Amino acid sequence: MTVKSNNEKMGQGVGFERIRRITGYLVGTMDKWNDAKRAEERDRVKHSLQKQ
Amino acid sequence: MIRSIIKRDGRVVLYEQGKIAAAILRSMEASHSGDAMDAARVADHVQRDLEARFTDQAPNIEAIQDTVEQQLMNHGFNDAAKAYILYRANRTRAREANTGLMRTIDEITNIDARISDMKRDNANIDGNTAMGSMLQIGAAGAKAYNEMYLLRPEHAKAYREGDIHIHDFDFYSLTTTCCQIDILKLFHGGFSTGHGYLREPQSIQSYAALAAIAIQSNQNDQHGGQSIPNFDYGMAEGVAKTYRKAFNRRLRDATEDLIGSDDEAEAVSALIKGVENELGETARLENTKAFTDALAAALVESYNISQADAQRLVSRAQKRAWAKTDRDTKQAMEGFVHNLNTMHSRAGAQTPFSSINYGTDVSPEGRMVIRNILLALDAGLGHGETCIFPIHIFKVKEGVNYNEADPNYDLFRLSCKVSARRLFPNYTFLDAPFNLQYYVPGRPETEVATMGCRTRVMGNVFDPTREISFSRGNLSFTSINLPRLAIESQGDEKLFYEKLQGMLELVAQQLLDRFEIQASKHIYNYPFLMGQGVWLDSDHLSIHDDLREVLKHGTLSIGFIGLAETLTALYGQHHGQSEDIQAKGKEILGFMRKFCDDKSQELKMNFSLLGTPAEGLSGRFIRMDQKRYGKIKGVTDREYYTNSFHIPVWYPISAYDKIRLEAPYHALCNAGHISYVELDGDTARNVEAFESIVRCMHDFGIGYGSINHPVDRDPICGYVGIIGDVCPRCGRHEGEMIPQEKIDELKRMYPEMPAFQGIE
Repeated sequence: MTVKSNNEKMGQGVGFERIRRITGYLVGTMDKWNDAKRAEERDRVKHSLQKQ
Repeated sequence: MIRSIIKRDGRVVLYEQGKIAAAILRSMEASHSGDAMDAARVADHVQRDLEARFTDQAPNIEAIQDTVEQQLMNHGFNDAAKAYILYRANRTRAREANTGLMRTIDEITNIDARISDMKRDNANIDGNTAMGSMLQIGAAGAKAYNEMYLLRPEHAKAYREGDIHIHDFDFYSLTTTCCQIDILKLFHGGFSTGHGYLREPQSIQSYAALAAIAIQSNQNDQHGGQSIPNFDYGMAEGVAKTYRKAFNRRLRDATEDLIGSDDEAEAVSALIKGVENELGETARLENTKAFTDALAAALVESYNISQADAQRLVSRAQKRAWAKTDRDTKQAMEGFVHNLNTMHSRAGAQTPFSSINYGTDVSPEGRMVIRNILLALDAGLGHGETCIFPIHIFKVKEGVNYNEADPNYDLFRLSCKVSARRLFPNYTFLDAPFNLQYYVPGRPETEVATMGCRTRVMGNVFDPTREISFSRGNLSFTSINLPRLAIESQGDEKLFYEKLQGMLELVAQQLLDRFEIQASKHIYNYPFLMGQGVWLDSDHLSIHDDLREVLKHGTLSIGFIGLAETLTALYGQHHGQSEDIQAKGKEILGFMRKFCDDKSQELKMNFSLLGTPAEGLSGRFIRMDQKRYGKIKGVTDREYYTNSFHIPVWYPISAYDKIRLEAPYHALCNAGHISYVELDGDTARNVEAFESIVRCMHDFGIGYGSINHPVDRDPICGYVGIIGDVCPRCGRHEGEMIPQEKIDELKRMYPEMPAFQGIE
């Protein structure tokens, strides 16, 4: 990723890194995930802590 | 009169009857029927037939081949006709494979990985780089060859059509998956990387550096990940050596200061050695009072100093040596983590896929290692980035680190705090019955360790005296498209089990075929893994031996994907929805496990059942099944099949129930398993809540688990945590600029904030 920066401002075009676990290991950015795994990550729901 | 023919690519060439006769003769020879005379006679008839049908145009290849088939049958050479048809089919397959291969290489060459899903099949290979592309082209070529030449037709068909998935197929003819490297065994006496010999390391820095090199070297001999099962026990030796040296040095300095000498190195060193020999105890992090007293007494005697001075010399040297060793260990652990995130393997296309297991060494040295590796993990990389590698696995054991009174409980607590911030460590549970059965206190090799993705090797049918995790690993694995078997059974349970039995047989045979290739290799094919004795018993092999017997310590694993979709296809619901269906799920995996156990006993080899870590596979099967069966609700209506035995990721369920429902499958999947719990960021930051989930996993008999939560980072201001649309620290949106003054202001508030380099 290249970034334009001038003396007054910086950060243009710089995204946030979002680290997620894929199949037991972590992946630094999701750009490299395949389509199916991206869809799965998108669908993940959080699990609540209360006992039923 | 036939003068010319049209080839497949449209070129027109001269007709040669001899070529047809030769092809016919080959078929006759292959089927042991007919001779050259017969071949000539059939070829004549082929020509006459063609002349009758192609009066004003040249025949094409397909028409000629159809005619040959027909005439062979007309003349009663049915077997030769069959051989000819098979030959044609094979040629067609080869042609298609070639075309497919060229198309694949074209895509690798010309299409950006951001657009090409194929190039993102493995998220750890950067398909946009030169070396990454070369690796992918090599893989594509190997796959085409392997399918054409190495697979039985029925296995090739099952693989091509998505009944099964043969993992790491590009390496089919080359090597095995993974290994748990016993780092102590490797270090003792030194080792060679194939590019140079390394002496036994003498300090924690060299222990850590060489551990990284060991992982890197072994990665080049296998296609899967590399793990150290005894990271704490292994590095502890390095800590002990560093401490002993530091203590020697500090005691010498203090003594020289006290008596005003510059030359006490040998004398002090001899003094320490004398006490060590006398008491059978080396100078180490926590020496006994007897040792300290004996050393003080020796100093009194040698230097004629007071008892109080001598005691003070020893205790100051101990304190300073401890601090120095702790600093060195911290640096060594940071260096190790940096190394594993930056070093390259496989021609630079990948960082080695690495894992380390620790948590159970209760020695002061081991504890120092565990604390510092956790702190290094917590600190992150140079800009505070979360480390991707190695995968950290914390081994949880009652009596060692699980309960408040346990010696390493403080480190377990620390691990929860770190994991709540950095996603690692994951947890493996030695108290789960299927792990506890192997556990022998005081023998670390009997503690289960995982290859970070989830692979586990413990039982050993081949050699029941070696039921250990060290120096072993998986040989190869193949996964079954379980949902397809269920869809095709159309709710008929009996039919499903028949199909499953057939598929298990097919996969077992395919794994054995692959084993035959692996077994015929020699130690020189794996200069590190086998040549350095990393793999169990490989140190007993001679250059002429094949690897057959030693490889039998490894596992052949049958994997699967989509238990949830399988159950929905068969019974209308998945195992998260009903206890009855949960029982059905256990029946299916129980059936598969029994198959593996029976096969193991029959062949005295280690067949095991794997909850496949499907990355590329998550989309491959379902795309094919959508084409075949359309979108079936709850089965094929998403872009992925649910991983292994997991409750579907989209299904709302409490953490407690998810763990309770998935735990029984850990016991069945002896080749590997993992369960995840997804927490929102705020809950994850609550260490009590985090620990309660780890405890819940332990108590329900989970074998290996981890807790997912969002870890985001803004490279501009260095904030690590949860970032929604706006960064909570610098207030910018994704892609937005912020003024330099703002950065300067933030730098004053957060001195550890990294300087943004412009490119990351």
